[in-house]
Amino acid sequence: MRKQFKDTTLDLATQDERVVVILGDISHFLFMPFQEKYPTRVYNMGICENALISVAAGLSSQGFHPFVHTINPFLTERCVEQIKLDLCYNQFGANIVTTGASFDYAWDGATHHCYTELAILRLLPGMEVTQPGNRGELDTLIRSQYNNGKPTYYRLSDHGHPLDFPIEFGKANLLKDVGADVTVMTAGPILANVVDACEGLPVNLVYFNTIKPIDREAIERFRRTRILVVQDAHGLHEAISSVPDLSVSCHGLPDQFCAWYGTVHDIRKKIGLDPAGIHAAVLSRIS
Amino acid sequence: MTPACREIRRNILEASNLSGHGHIPTSFSIVEMLCAVFDTMRHDPTNPEWAERDIFILSKGHAALGYYATLAQYGYLPVKELATFGAFESRLGCHADRLKVPGVEVSTGSLGHGIAVAVGMALAFKISNECRRVFTIVGDGESNEGTVWESVMVAVNLKLDNLTILFDANDSQTRSLQILNPGDRFRAFGCETIEVDGHDMEALMNALSVPGSGVKAVIAQTVKGHGCRTLSNNVFEWHRKSPKSDELPTLIKELEEA
Repeated sequence: MRKQFKDTTLDLATQDERVVVILGDISHFLFMPFQEKYPTRVYNMGICENALISVAAGLSSQGFHPFVHTINPFLTERCVEQIKLDLCYNQFGANIVTTGASFDYAWDGATHHCYTELAILRLLPGMEVTQPGNRGELDTLIRSQYNNGKPTYYRLSDHGHPLDFPIEFGKANLLKDVGADVTVMTAGPILANVVDACEGLPVNLVYFNTIKPIDREAIERFRRTRILVVQDAHGLHEAISSVPDLSVSCHGLPDQFCAWYGTVHDIRKKIGLDPAGIHAAVLSRIS
Repeated sequence: MTPACREIRRNILEASNLSGHGHIPTSFSIVEMLCAVFDTMRHDPTNPEWAERDIFILSKGHAALGYYATLAQYGYLPVKELATFGAFESRLGCHADRLKVPGVEVSTGSLGHGIAVAVGMALAFKISNECRRVFTIVGDGESNEGTVWESVMVAVNLKLDNLTILFDANDSQTRSLQILNPGDRFRAFGCETIEVDGHDMEALMNALSVPGSGVKAVIAQTVKGHGCRTLSNNVFEWHRKSPKSDELPTLIKELEEA
């Protein structure tokens, strides 16, 4: 998805001279061709994430469309106050683009894992929060939202799902509606595991690319079913649960640091978010 | 003290008395700086959104009452509106909101934010080849925040010669983390640094008159509560205290005699 991020922003930059990219010393080489073509539009400003968000606010105040990019926990959890005040409260738009998702840097341990930011950012007034599932979704979401004057968050992953279907910002996809009593709702790259897990099971399946604004219409459609949220981060469960009087449960993260290493697949398996673990969780809701 | 600076301070005292709000000593320490900035920068109170204006950001946002009194002095607000300071439906909160107050470019209050936004604005003007300057007042207490120094490093690295940082060295942190020798620190970070008496209008005007060859840091040595010895002799007691009606005449008298 990172390469797509570069390709999309570079393409936008050819059409829109207000596109500016700020890097926190990540993806430096990836953006070199961009920088060579537009030397005043890409800045590797260094490892100072809090300042980067505020600088983006300043650029936005003068009509630019900044993209700020570095590793997930450092740009989101570390910078909540800058995002809250300098972007949301001041009503300065910016595009916050992280890499690493929840466990892409599994081997680096809990300091590089990040699973709260979708839930935190969705609480900030004026904020848009997306979790693109693959390169195509990222491209669609950025082109749709990058210059709308709002702060928008895009959570990139190196492990996008392989499914291909059209998406729209703020709209869920009803991937399977079989009139079942149980509806699985999920978001982002883990859709691949969810689809595998649900194969042959009598469940409806709804997919979200956007956590805020949440597609309430899609949720309401399945109000009379038991909803099971499957996500490898916090955020979707909280967003869906904001709709009153639903029957919602969640198969997600434990209340502990996932202090293991290895790969994202190792951690997902350990916490039951591999296809087998999700399958078992869905089965338990059906029976 | 110039008549304008004295009038601003009087309006601060009276507004604080009427409203029961305000950080008076820290507002008093920057009055000359505010006037020097507003006398230097290109701005138009009849058109606060003027596209060619320079930018001022009060990074030490808790001195908002001093900022409002200055905006009133320069025609952005009616002076009588200062009395609404901090009231429920007032435009004038105890920290300024850019969406409510004409002339306010960035809503500040949490320390260490305004200077970083100022860096982004200065960069924006460089990218778009606009000859517009950005001024920001940063507090010495505020400079306990790491983002102040992150911002200075970024600005210097980007060679933002259209950015002027006014550092209010009012010794606010003598009881905790004091920023000693601030001029040395800003020089070490690569700023073009000038040290002045922060209550000397002529010195401030000279320091601000032309952009630097790089990021300019004006280290302004100031006194919290400058102009009222009751305040300057008791800065911690008066940090966030408003004068009662029976205290106001003494403060006004001290101000008139300063």
